[in-house]
Amino acid sequence: MISEEQQDQAALYVLGLLEPHEAAAFESELNKNAELRDIAREFREAAAAMALTAPPRMPPASLKQRVMREIAIKTEDRTVVPLQHRPSLGWVPWVIAAGLAVFCGLLALDRVRLERQLADMRAADSLMQTTFYSLAPSAPAPADARATVAWQPGRQSGVIRISNLPAPEPGRDYQLWAVDAEHKDPISAGVVRVDKNGVAQIRFKPVEKAEHVKAFAISLEREGGVPKKEGPILLVGSS
Amino acid sequence: MAEETAQQVADREMLLRVGHGDQAAFSALYDRLSGPLYSLALKMLGDASDAQDALQEVFLQIWSRAKTYDPEKSSVFSWAVLLTRSRAIDRLRARDRRLRVMAGSTADETRLAEATNASTVESAADTVDKNDEAAHVRSLLNNLLSEQRQAIDLAFFGHLTHHEIAARLGQPLGTIKARIRRGLLKLREQLRT
Repeated sequence: MISEEQQDQAALYVLGLLEPHEAAAFESELNKNAELRDIAREFREAAAAMALTAPPRMPPASLKQRVMREIAIKTEDRTVVPLQHRPSLGWVPWVIAAGLAVFCGLLALDRVRLERQLADMRAADSLMQTTFYSLAPSAPAPADARATVAWQPGRQSGVIRISNLPAPEPGRDYQLWAVDAEHKDPISAGVVRVDKNGVAQIRFKPVEKAEHVKAFAISLEREGGVPKKEGPILLVGSS
Repeated sequence: MAEETAQQVADREMLLRVGHGDQAAFSALYDRLSGPLYSLALKMLGDASDAQDALQEVFLQIWSRAKTYDPEKSSVFSWAVLLTRSRAIDRLRARDRRLRVMAGSTADETRLAEATNASTVESAADTVDKNDEAAHVRSLLNNLLSEQRQAIDLAFFGHLTHHEIAARLGQPLGTIKARIRRGLLKLREQLRT
């Protein structure tokens, strides 16, 4: 049976409110008491749910690119580092030739391995085949309206995230367009609907093949969308 | 351990793959978590650039520490939320130290109080949409007594200690502890249903 005092401690512990010595004592108690561990876990879940009460916002698409670049570098460092620590054999003159041969062999092996890893990464990581477009507002859109498009030409599909774009008046819809260098008119990529917070995250596919997309744009159209752009452009941006 | 939801199982499997260096799984986990984590960081830090830096640190931590994740202690979502909160608190403390050096602590405490009050008001003003997970949690929070919600809000977003919350609200320390405990107990019960 967990006492109220233990529950107090568990609540303060998951919120990080205990002093370091109190936290250490509580952790020691946790290790011995499964029931206490259960309540700490449940308090942790309850406390973490508080995060969902923050006003919903999306980070810019460029942040994901930054993060993915960082982890790619870290992964590369991990695979390349052992090579830097291989012992030099240069101080033993009579094995220089043999050492160089071994070294060259290892380099060749490493190159093959890295090329294979790169090919695997390209195949596995869709991000490397993705182009990002930042869409900025043009009048009459609100100045803080934003959208980002992650576009995969190979798959002819993408995802758009929109923020701070108020829902259109009844009878109207927002429509997404791909501006392609080889098409005279923008290609429809469908109607996009924002929620009451002006936010949307939608997967789309243009109605025609778009292999040389220069930009994406959002216009205000008749409800249900139109085959050819008619209304004003609200957001537009290139990669 | 309580029964996991389908989403929690999916998150755990994604994180397991991340622990094995699977960048595609990491990319998917980023898509799933970045919105709520960024919203949390932004609410705590009040600055988009700072929130983005904090979020970058969190995801690099997730990448490097995926193997240390313990499903017995928390769901992946909660683990990531608490990592984010911790990074945000580190940044707030560093900011506090800089401000104290520059202007003394009084102005800083005023800023913190304003930020905390603003966030409380913002949450209270949110409307309920039952189709939305976040709105669901907000609706559960509305079932808490206002003093319980206020105490948890100040502790979670305002990074105030229970001593500071007691001083701020002019209540005995034991009362604040009890409000936080009862609030979390009630929230826990409601999240189970």
